[in-house]
Amino acid sequence: MDYLANAMIAALGLISSFDADLYQIVYTSVYISVIACFFAALISVPVGVTVALNSFPGKRALQHLLNTLMAMPTVVIGLLLYGMFSRMGPLGDWGLLYTPTAIIIAQCLLIMPIMINLTITAVHTADPRLLPTLLTMGARGFSLTWQVVRVTRVAILIGIITGFGRAIGEVGAAMMLGGNIEGFTRTMTTAIALETSKGEFELALALGLLLLILAFMLNFLMSALQGKAR
Amino acid sequence: MTEAYRINNLAVDAQQKQLLNIGKLNINSNQSTAILGENGAGKTTLLHTLAFIQPGVSGKFLVLGQAVNGTLSAALRRRIGLVSQQPYLLPGTVLENLQLALRLQGFKTGMHAEQIDLWLQRLNLQGLVDTDAAILSGGEQKRVALARTLICQPDILLLDEPFAHLDQQHIHQLEVILHQWAAQPGKTMVFSTHNRFQANMLADKTISLYQGKMIDTPFLNVFHGHYKMPVFDTGKLKVTTSMEDIDANVMAVDPRDIIISKIAPNQSSIRNSYPGKLTQITADSQGVRLSIDCGERFDAIITEQSLRELTLQPGDRLFVSFKASAVRLF
Repeated sequence: MDYLANAMIAALGLISSFDADLYQIVYTSVYISVIACFFAALISVPVGVTVALNSFPGKRALQHLLNTLMAMPTVVIGLLLYGMFSRMGPLGDWGLLYTPTAIIIAQCLLIMPIMINLTITAVHTADPRLLPTLLTMGARGFSLTWQVVRVTRVAILIGIITGFGRAIGEVGAAMMLGGNIEGFTRTMTTAIALETSKGEFELALALGLLLLILAFMLNFLMSALQGKAR
Repeated sequence: MTEAYRINNLAVDAQQKQLLNIGKLNINSNQSTAILGENGAGKTTLLHTLAFIQPGVSGKFLVLGQAVNGTLSAALRRRIGLVSQQPYLLPGTVLENLQLALRLQGFKTGMHAEQIDLWLQRLNLQGLVDTDAAILSGGEQKRVALARTLICQPDILLLDEPFAHLDQQHIHQLEVILHQWAAQPGKTMVFSTHNRFQANMLADKTISLYQGKMIDTPFLNVFHGHYKMPVFDTGKLKVTTSMEDIDANVMAVDPRDIIISKIAPNQSSIRNSYPGKLTQITADSQGVRLSIDCGERFDAIITEQSLRELTLQPGDRLFVSFKASAVRLF
């Protein structure tokens, strides 16, 4: 018990003393996930709105596929991209393996199904009069998508935050594609896994606490937004 | 006379149910047309079809002389405006809603202020210009939605139950505005209502819908029942008909085809005659409407002169008579 208590005290010390190594890892993690989240949202929101607004053959199958992909293990994405980015792989020449870019691409692919699905839900749960009203007002193409996003923005933002939460908390793909290089691709989750195995329990615990604080902040933000949406 | 709409073989299907099935529908331009029917008859579906926002539609469409296949061109879209029964206003103020409508329809920014002022004034909305659309009352929302539509100067105005949920003062105000609007050259108005009097007052022509089909009789004297040649049985009355339609489960009689008499007609060609009690006398745009309870309620339209000659008053015993050929089955 003393061991755990001492580790906790040391971890809090690292956090409160703004330990450079600790915050470097936090910065890398947040930076990678924010960029992944940005690009994923840039693609997912218009795709989600377009899927939600249109009827086409295979729409139901697509939604089933997206639901399945939402639960995809992160190591599977890591494995697939490792195959693509490794020296022998089809994209080996790009030299992306063990770079933050590789993690960004992996996180992007990981959270896109979540964001697309939650965008579709956001549009489907909007007032059923929204689409006919916009159509009769002359909205079409980009203006239609933009107005739908404008009206459903709070629900869409909740989808984006959910995606960010999944990205920052994943460990499998970051480990396999990033390689946990200090100051470069070492994220909070990969560092926790590594430091624990090295016996550096205090640093791992400090990172774990910060990750929890981040998760709490994201949840708080989502609750606030959901309250606003109502 | 030119046509705003010429539609052939119109069918609207939704989830294995046919919502509309109309062989031929022509709506004249420069006219007001009322769509009459009970709840669920297909009035809203028809208006949404005319506004090209109804899914599951098939048919051949000619709109303002142009063939339309599936989606409207931006130019035609601009010429058609729809105000729903319970309109949806976008988040933002009244002004923002109006500005957005002009922007989406491609009006130049310079034209906005002038148009907006004009319609705010006509619809008595000046005081609400900066109000959040979400906090407006139902009647105010309806007026804002009407302003949002008329501001874009459509040639065809489609209105779904425009007078529902409005108080008497606003109904009158709206009647005047719509009447003035429709009187302008080149303007076509189509509105749905279940109020036959309003329809007759505002419209040049009425279309009656029943279970998704167009019926060529005013929407009165419509009875459900079973047909067994040559008699239609409503459950309360047996009615002789000259039409043959083994699938018919609805019959209708045009109120103008009903003959009212104080004594039973004898030795005439009239196949249907029922004794009844006069329950109501009301004014109608086409004359005087009498409601007679013969087991089923019949409505008959007679002239004011006939009313005077017959010296009728509620409670009188009368005979309701009509020919077998006056009975429509569908």
